[in-house]
Amino acid sequence: MQYRQVGVIGGKGAGPGQFGASLRGIAVDAAGNIYAANDSQITVFDATGRLRRRWSTSQPVHSVAVTGDGAVYTGQIRQIEIFDSAGKLVHTWRDETLLWRVTAIGFVDGDVLAGEATGRAIRRFDSGGKFRNNIGTDNPLNGLLIPNGVVDFGVDAHGIIHAANPGKHRVERYTPAGELLGHIGHFHGTDPAGFGGCCNPTNVAVRDRIYVTEKAGPRAKVYNFSGDLEAVIAADVFDANCKNMSIAVDRRGRVYVADTVKLAIFIFEPEAV
Amino acid sequence: MSEPFTRRDLLHKAARGTVLATLGGGAAFLVQKAHGQVVWQVDAARCLNSRLGVVGVEACRLCTTECVVALSAVRAVNEYSRCGRCNICPAYFNITSAVDERGLPSEKLCPRDAITRKPIGKADPEDPANNFYEYLIDEEKCDGCGKCVMQCKEPLGLGSIVLRIRYDRCVDCNRCAISRACPKDALIQVPVEQALRNDGVH
Repeated sequence: MQYRQVGVIGGKGAGPGQFGASLRGIAVDAAGNIYAANDSQITVFDATGRLRRRWSTSQPVHSVAVTGDGAVYTGQIRQIEIFDSAGKLVHTWRDETLLWRVTAIGFVDGDVLAGEATGRAIRRFDSGGKFRNNIGTDNPLNGLLIPNGVVDFGVDAHGIIHAANPGKHRVERYTPAGELLGHIGHFHGTDPAGFGGCCNPTNVAVRDRIYVTEKAGPRAKVYNFSGDLEAVIAADVFDANCKNMSIAVDRRGRVYVADTVKLAIFIFEPEAV
Repeated sequence: MSEPFTRRDLLHKAARGTVLATLGGGAAFLVQKAHGQVVWQVDAARCLNSRLGVVGVEACRLCTTECVVALSAVRAVNEYSRCGRCNICPAYFNITSAVDERGLPSEKLCPRDAITRKPIGKADPEDPANNFYEYLIDEEKCDGCGKCVMQCKEPLGLGSIVLRIRYDRCVDCNRCAISRACPKDALIQVPVEQALRNDGVH
């Protein structure tokens, strides 16, 4: 399998559709709209990359996720702000401990999952914001090892949570209740099938496969659920100083990667065999 | 059997390690210097080995080759409060060397074997990767070559290892030989009080 770059969105700047100082999270909804968590705002592009709308969050935003009905969840420091599809603030969940720094958001069985980097855990809440349980804190000893400062995960069609554990060079599988089911991945400094450096992969997205990004050197890769590398999606296009590159996949198999230095979203799609 | 490892343990160790590392390496000597005196210091923001944004180049060895002191008055120091305590530390291992049967790189990075490590807290024998490590730099062996500093730098590492002038070794040349050679002007003279602040001794 090979991928080719088919577009770039954003870039550093003050213009419409550009990002000022940070690009920490991206998400794609069912219609293919692309959501960027940049600076202290959410910026929405349509599937062609045209700017549709943007709105401010109350704090710098670290992550974004979109539900099937278009609600937009934004992870911040000590809170999650929930907006409707037009960008109107609907709810704010605040918690001084459980939501210290929310670097990823996902959904499973009607519940909301928040990747919380300070506590190195995925927090599971019900739809009303009531805490249910932690995921990844007991695997079996030290939990998620994340020297990179980001907890990231994806949820597959069966409700299994695939969490990056970069300090262990793995993507681990958990049930929503927090039971560790297994993992893929291993360290290797030169073989692209392995995860290199001190701590990779940093970010993960899941759909029909497991998609990851790594830092130093930055690259995006795709694995099957057995852990076999299927493709290096891209490497050279990213700034060498990138880290914690958010990744998303739409239902057509297009892959979106946030370059955190160039402040651009690179779009790739699989080449027809 | 060792006690379970907690974040409190980690923070305590970090604070203790930072103070010991700075004091042990000459800051205690520095405090005896006269008020108003100036000393040489490595500016980490200028040093090629620690400056952010410089990746994919060989480490600069001028602190080793130019200093008039045997082995150099410059040594690598691990600021424990910033260290990620990674299982596979790019400053400890040569991370591009062959992987051994334990799944670890088979070679160390430091040519003088000046870095050692020990696990923190309880290790899981079924899952040895599931652990934190404390990395210790033996300053008697270190010659300030900067290889570990370059590998520890962001984005590969967390930038916890930096080069520091050890004032109990430095002979205070009027015109530091390293400063004359450094292409980045990273050797600077600062008042003693500022040097103490920069080294984390307040």
